[in-house]
Amino acid sequence: MAESTSERLARLLAMVAYLADRDDVPVAELAAHFGVPQTQIMKDVDTLWVSGTPGYQPDDLLDFSADSYDAQRITLTNARGMDRPLRLGPGEAVALIVALRALANLPGLGADPAVASALAKLTAAAGDAAEAAEAVALETADPALDAHVSRVLGTARAALAAGERVHLRYTSASDATSERDVDPLELLSDGEAWFLRGWCLLSDAVRHFRLDRVAAITRTGVDVAPHEVASTSGRVRPEQTLLRARLELTPRSRWVAERFGGEILAERDGAIVVALDVADEAWLARLVLDLGPDVVGLEPRGLAESIAARAAAALTAYEEVG
Amino acid sequence: MPRTTLVVMSTSVTPAERLLDLVIALTHTEHRMTKADVRATVNGYSQASNDDAFERMFERDKVTLRELGIPLVTLTDDAHGDDIGYRIDLDGYALPRVDLTPAEIGVLSVAAQVWDGAHLDLPARRALTKLRAVSPAASGELSGHVLRIPPPSATFDPLLNAIASRAVVTFGYRGATSSAPAQRRVEPWRLVVRDGAWYVLGHDLVRDAERMFRLTRITGAVKVGPAGGATHARGSGTGDGPGGAHGGSRGSDGADRAVDVARIAVRPERAGDVRLRALSMTPGEGNWDGWDVLELAVGDAEDLAGLLAGHTDAVVVLEPPHLREAVVTRLRAAAGLAPTGEADRG
Repeated sequence: MAESTSERLARLLAMVAYLADRDDVPVAELAAHFGVPQTQIMKDVDTLWVSGTPGYQPDDLLDFSADSYDAQRITLTNARGMDRPLRLGPGEAVALIVALRALANLPGLGADPAVASALAKLTAAAGDAAEAAEAVALETADPALDAHVSRVLGTARAALAAGERVHLRYTSASDATSERDVDPLELLSDGEAWFLRGWCLLSDAVRHFRLDRVAAITRTGVDVAPHEVASTSGRVRPEQTLLRARLELTPRSRWVAERFGGEILAERDGAIVVALDVADEAWLARLVLDLGPDVVGLEPRGLAESIAARAAAALTAYEEVG
Repeated sequence: MPRTTLVVMSTSVTPAERLLDLVIALTHTEHRMTKADVRATVNGYSQASNDDAFERMFERDKVTLRELGIPLVTLTDDAHGDDIGYRIDLDGYALPRVDLTPAEIGVLSVAAQVWDGAHLDLPARRALTKLRAVSPAASGELSGHVLRIPPPSATFDPLLNAIASRAVVTFGYRGATSSAPAQRRVEPWRLVVRDGAWYVLGHDLVRDAERMFRLTRITGAVKVGPAGGATHARGSGTGDGPGGAHGGSRGSDGADRAVDVARIAVRPERAGDVRLRALSMTPGEGNWDGWDVLELAVGDAEDLAGLLAGHTDAVVVLEPPHLREAVVTRLRAAAGLAPTGEADRG
């Protein structure tokens, strides 16, 4: 994806302020700091070097040390008065403050001192621009579960950082509890639930484990083994697909389509027919039961029948005891 | 050594390069620059092929500067009549002093990624870039973490502006039960995230009552009225402080989310995730001999009912009745999904 104009302009100005305080900064270090490739840093420096005040004679331009430049290091020799760091725009402050508050709201991260202090400093630095963000409220999840997930997350984070294998007692979406060893790869959150992505030695494949279904987690003291999978997936939901389901939903449950990346096949008066790629049949069954009367129709047919039969069996229990 | 001026002029100037030169020019101008000055002297503007193209280019550039928080001031000069001049106000330009630790800038780097492609993504990443200008290298305390927050829809921005300016908003809204969108006039108070969905809480002027509206059910654009148009006192019972524990504690049906304890029977060894939430667990008696009886805190009864219904015959709600009813409603609906099967007669 091409970089936007505003993003590049913000970085060009930020680099001048950053370099005004430092000499002889390696290009690799600048690239890591600003999160762009080294080739982009070189393009940015080339741009800055020919920028300045109208007239654009040598004395009007930003200037760098050519000797440093040839050695892949950057030294700014004339900032042309542009060495002040630029303040945050109102939209920028809101976007980052709300993001950080959402992080602080996740189980296990709220207690992280760096999260709390970063939020305080960001709010102070944003000044007036931070005020608008105060109108945004984030609700915390179930506190009892929160405490459990925080403990699981704490152990998982420590094991991930140490490169250590963990042992899990885990209840799957289909309510089967099992014991397994897992080599942690990544911790993921979609803002609601936490997942551990890891190499599962029981299934000999990459698996996602929801932390609120981890009954127990222990560190094994064993180093993780090398696995031929990406250490980061960059996405929260599992990538594999088992089946494509077709759901007819009432207007009240339209959110399902956007939440789980479904494709809307048909739409009438707010009701939709959505196609969802599903990695786990049990997960879909639970979603359908959770939505209840909002699901008007479901395919594949066989799955609809098995869910209906299970629901009918459950109703029997209610009827028998009254 | 700088490259020669000749090189600058012969190369096609990208918008970012043109804007950088505009910022430098407007911070250095003695008094002000008119549009004509900008066009004649600032690198890149000579690429506009005619007056209209220049006007569009300059208007777009002004919007970008304001989005970035660059304080662009307009100055009129009596000697020049209506001709407006521009300057960047250096007093309002700079970021206040902020000393971030490596761990803090690491946390901010993770935070800036949570919007993942949504409309808040770009401003969040720009904010991070600006903070990096005055920060040490990040430390990797949160490396190996990928965090995403369900993003609000684009109606977030006008609603937030309306809250800040105490304006009345008008929008089309598709209610939970009615399928046709209806116009709503609302004094917005807060934006609330609950269970991964975004809501606006405010005073509904037609119903003359406090209501919550789900952002994804708003149809079309949000129209923002004049600043100060809102007259009702803000959210009495819904928490005043930012992020308060009671923020948006009422559902769209107006029902309070009182803390309530449910008792449920669970088959042995089943519903492991429900057991993790239990406040207490005792062996069942009578009808429930051999089952476990759990006590659970009921936050949102509908949410809990959804979780419990997912366990079908592994759990039975004993009380409270409204939770039991909410579960049974879901089971009946699911049983009706295959009307030709046995399920239909349940």
